Amino acid sequence: MIVAENVEKRFGDMPVLKRVNLTVAPGEVVTILGASGSGKSTLIRCINGLEQLSGGRITVDGHDVSTKAGLVAARRASATVFQLFNLYPHMTALGNITLAPIEVLKLPKAEAEARGRALLERVGLSAHADAYPQQLSGGQRQRVGICRALAMQPRYLLLDEVTSALDPEMTGDVLRILAELAADGTTMVFVTHEIEFARHISSRIVFLEQGELIVDLPTADFFAEEGGLAVPRIRQFLSKLKKD
Amino acid sequence: MRYADFTPYDIVLLLQGLGVTLALFVGTTVIGLLLGLLLAVVHHYRVPGCRPVIVVVTEALKNSPVLVQLFLVFFGIPAFLHVRMTPVEAATLTISLNTAAFAFVIFRSGIESIEREQIEAAEVFGLSRARILRLIIAPQAAAFAVGPLIGILVNQLQVTSLISVIGVFDLTKIGNILNLRTLQPFIVWAVIGLIYYTAAKTLAHFGGRIEAALRKSAQWGGI
Repeated sequence: MIVAENVEKRFGDMPVLKRVNLTVAPGEVVTILGASGSGKSTLIRCINGLEQLSGGRITVDGHDVSTKAGLVAARRASATVFQLFNLYPHMTALGNITLAPIEVLKLPKAEAEARGRALLERVGLSAHADAYPQQLSGGQRQRVGICRALAMQPRYLLLDEVTSALDPEMTGDVLRILAELAADGTTMVFVTHEIEFARHISSRIVFLEQGELIVDLPTADFFAEEGGLAVPRIRQFLSKLKKD
Repeated sequence: MRYADFTPYDIVLLLQGLGVTLALFVGTTVIGLLLGLLLAVVHHYRVPGCRPVIVVVTEALKNSPVLVQLFLVFFGIPAFLHVRMTPVEAATLTISLNTAAFAFVIFRSGIESIEREQIEAAEVFGLSRARILRLIIAPQAAAFAVGPLIGILVNQLQVTSLISVIGVFDLTKIGNILNLRTLQPFIVWAVIGLIYYTAAKTLAHFGGRIEAALRKSAQWGGI
């Protein structure tokens, strides 16, 4: 379980997250919605320890990410897929995927590579195992990024706007894989602008507005007239997206 | 045969001088590269208080004549600290430090050429700082740095000729001796120059092969 309690984050004097509370139980797919700059990505970066909290507490399976030992354990339990892929350019697709399993999980190389190849096959990239990131399209790179995360067999998958840098066709490839993962019961925290997709795969949707988590509802309720749509800010946000 | 004639023994002298030059060059290169690398790593990890010191010292070394540095070390340090220093020691110390200063700048830009995002990804996947340095930063920084480093080293090979001034019997010093004896400056200095040229070209050739090999294994094309 991921538990965020009264999480505060400030960059200098500017508050980015204000007393955010969020719980993600195993098996859930929780989507974080909100306008640009509302703090969605920062919340993910607080969970995986790339940002230090200014206040409050985050635990992953009971491990406090603000302690050194807790962060190691929390990072072992979760894996992140990044908006800009963040692949290692000097390693092949397979090398990107097997690095952490070999170095951190201490898997034998052959086993890590077998796992990596199986994942690449699953996302339709088995022919590209030996390609370097520069030789791959954006959508292919992001699929490698997903494989890299899955190779760690994480309990929680953190997805930070993973389709924002992709064109619509490539977005479809990536979303299809995520939908499969959701159907398999993978626990996900999903920051996205793909509202229809979020509606399709999420069990819950939370809405961040200027650093405050103003709504946290099951997906069906979030889109119900008397639920999320009753909140003016959300109605406005959704109608704006539809117009785009 | 007159005293002033060239003799077969002069070839032995030249080889000895070349040996001293190459030994000093190799020694100072190894020390200089290791020291430069260490400085770049210390700088990268922002070890408290180290950054300004490293920057000031390396800037001073890069922007002052090597001959002046050599005099400061050979005459200045013994006078100031009351220690003895042989010409070879002074030469080794000076050129090592000078190479380190240039190597530091190149290694630093190599490290800084790596995007922050990759390192964040490696951190999130649980890789330790040491592993990130070894597996993510070092291979990319090396591919970035090898070309400029070869350029610097070819230059430093020529710079070693300055040490003849403080009495090290390197190739240039031998040239001086032969010149004074034979009074044939055109021949002597042409030969000496040709030997330096050949050594530098050989170094650049092998450096180029190392660079090609590194880039081949790093065919991501990003650099």
